[in-house]
Amino acid sequence: MRFLGIDVGSLSCDAALLDDRGELLAATVVPTGARNREAIARATDEVLRAAGVCAQDVTAIVSTGYGRDRVEGRRAAVTEITCHARGIQALLPGTRLLIDIGGQDSKAVRFDAQGGVADFAMNDKCAAGTGRFLEAMARALEVDVSALGGLDREGTDGATLSSMCTVFAESEVVSLIADGVAVGAIVRGLHRAIASRTLGMVKRIAPDLSGLVVAMSGGVAHNAGVVRALSAALGCAVRVPPRPDIVGAFGAALIARERFGG
Amino acid sequence: MIGEYFAGLARDIEAKLAAEPAASSARKVFALEVARLGVRLYSPGRPVAWCGVLAPFDLLNGVGVTSCFAEFVGAMLAGMGAATPPLEGAEQAGYAADTCAYHRAVVGAAMQGMMPVPDFLVATTTPCTGGLAAIENLARLFRRELLVLQIPRAETEAGVRFLAGQLERLARFAAGRAGTALDAERVAAAVELSNLTRGLMVEIYDLARKVPSPVGNRDLANFGIVVPLLMGTQAGVDVARATRDELAARVGDGKSGVAGERFRLLWVQNRIQFPNPLLKLLEDEYRAVIVVDELNDVTWEPIDPADPYPGMARRAIGLPLNGPAERRVARLRQLATEYRVDGVIHPCHWGCRQGTGIRGLVQRGFRETGIPVLNLEVDCIDARSFSEGQLRTRLEAFLELIAGRPRASA
Ligand code: SF4
Repeated sequence: MRFLGIDVGSLSCDAALLDDRGELLAATVVPTGARNREAIARATDEVLRAAGVCAQDVTAIVSTGYGRDRVEGRRAAVTEITCHARGIQALLPGTRLLIDIGGQDSKAVRFDAQGGVADFAMNDKCAAGTGRFLEAMARALEVDVSALGGLDREGTDGATLSSMCTVFAESEVVSLIADGVAVGAIVRGLHRAIASRTLGMVKRIAPDLSGLVVAMSGGVAHNAGVVRALSAALGCAVRVPPRPDIVGAFGAALIARERFGG
Repeated sequence: MIGEYFAGLARDIEAKLAAEPAASSARKVFALEVARLGVRLYSPGRPVAWCGVLAPFDLLNGVGVTSCFAEFVGAMLAGMGAATPPLEGAEQAGYAADTCAYHRAVVGAAMQGMMPVPDFLVATTTPCTGGLAAIENLARLFRRELLVLQIPRAETEAGVRFLAGQLERLARFAAGRAGTALDAERVAAAVELSNLTRGLMVEIYDLARKVPSPVGNRDLANFGIVVPLLMGTQAGVDVARATRDELAARVGDGKSGVAGERFRLLWVQNRIQFPNPLLKLLEDEYRAVIVVDELNDVTWEPIDPADPYPGMARRAIGLPLNGPAERRVARLRQLATEYRVDGVIHPCHWGCRQGTGIRGLVQRGFRETGIPVLNLEVDCIDARSFSEGQLRTRLEAFLELIAGRPRASA
């Protein structure tokens, strides 16, 4: 028996395939692009090929992410909150607070002592402080988004950014460059701004952070600079699983196994 | 346009009820009386007053003035899917786009000639200063006299006397505008009808508390905020009685409002007024039912017909939306317990300082009781800001969270 989880996000479409013991056989991340269905097909093909599994051998598919209802053949569609929660509890048991920063939204999930979702919050109204925001800033800085984490180390004092609106922050970044502020300092400032915005969201569901085991997932968790900034803002270590971008798909596959594994 | 809409709606419902009396339902009776109120508001030659939400509509009905709170027009326009032109009109005239869209829609509607010119206006200082400002704007636009009811925030004897005096002056003024002298007997008769409606509302909410609840997600939508417009008239009694009877019959037949009721929810403040798929999602996919709306509540005592003003004053002052936030949060917690809800949905209507400002306190209040709260970022009137996918994800995730917990009604 094989179980497939597919997370159709705004920027990436992720797939994770499990065997009947819940072990991860393969996982993949492909860009979502403009056509969800193509990305879903590609992610599915890739993950099946990597594991050497035929489509007929998949017992159940559970989809998640904003495009979850577009996954054909799914046995269930489950929200990304529940899937990320399930995924992180399997990858990093004991997590009491999860911060997920994806392409277009960010979320915080607080867990009870048994690992059940106790509360959650998602970003308000706009995509400030998410993967899209960082992409736009990287463009303004003329660097690759994947390089931001490393650049952050170069800055000593971070630059101060007064706006988190993607449009205004982009022009602010451009003027900082024009003023000769070091790229590393700008990047550090950006990461700090994201951390402080995320802290606002986290505090809504977890006013008291003391003693909480915190983990981070989502593509932005690859950025060590954001993780460091978050850790400083929260005042505690932030754990990142080995493949933070597939936590949702992994959780979806685990749910498929639990619900439909017989 | 709105006047014709009401007239058409009233005609349609009347024709349907005449052709098929057995197909009558409480919601149709409610819609018919609301449409008739709309027709009266939009018919020339009758004294009409545009008011704030906490105006004493039974008193105004009792002195022969057709009255309505202005936000009603915003809700109607949104319900018809027609709020965008007035919203844009108001914004182009300089009304800030981050103010409450109920008020933006109403000011835009007035500017675009969609609202009848009233004889006078009655603003109330609560529940929100945005409402007061909107009525002031309307008074200026229509060049009509404005009365402002100053509603004290605390229920003291002096405060009650202060407001009761204002209400009596309002009654005299309104009666004068209706071309009569203030007739205490007519007012008393209206108060009797208002008390009857109130009693029926108490029964309705008692029925809604049952497990499973006989109410569906639409049965009592906007009920507690709109029925006061009919109070003091036989129509108010008829609507409330039809609703009570229908719910009682369902309870008698062992039927629930949502088949296989699974989750019971409390909805804070206003419903989303424009057509949207969220209620259907709650019902069809999760068998979740909004058993209680914050605004479906009776928080006042019957009013003495022989001396109505102090009772009316107490009613306005004692509303949980007036006064300190702790009182409101305490009442919400009480409702959640009485109705045995599994979760609370708080649509933090954009532009409502009242609603968004209290968000943290509501959340903290419920955290202490262990009842989860979902804050929705939504504009209940302005469909231009509606992001279905975002709201759907939050709502579904919330129901998934609730599903993992023991039922409050177990
Ligand atoms: S939603 Fe808020 S701002 Fe708008 S009318 Fe109601 S209380 Fe006032």
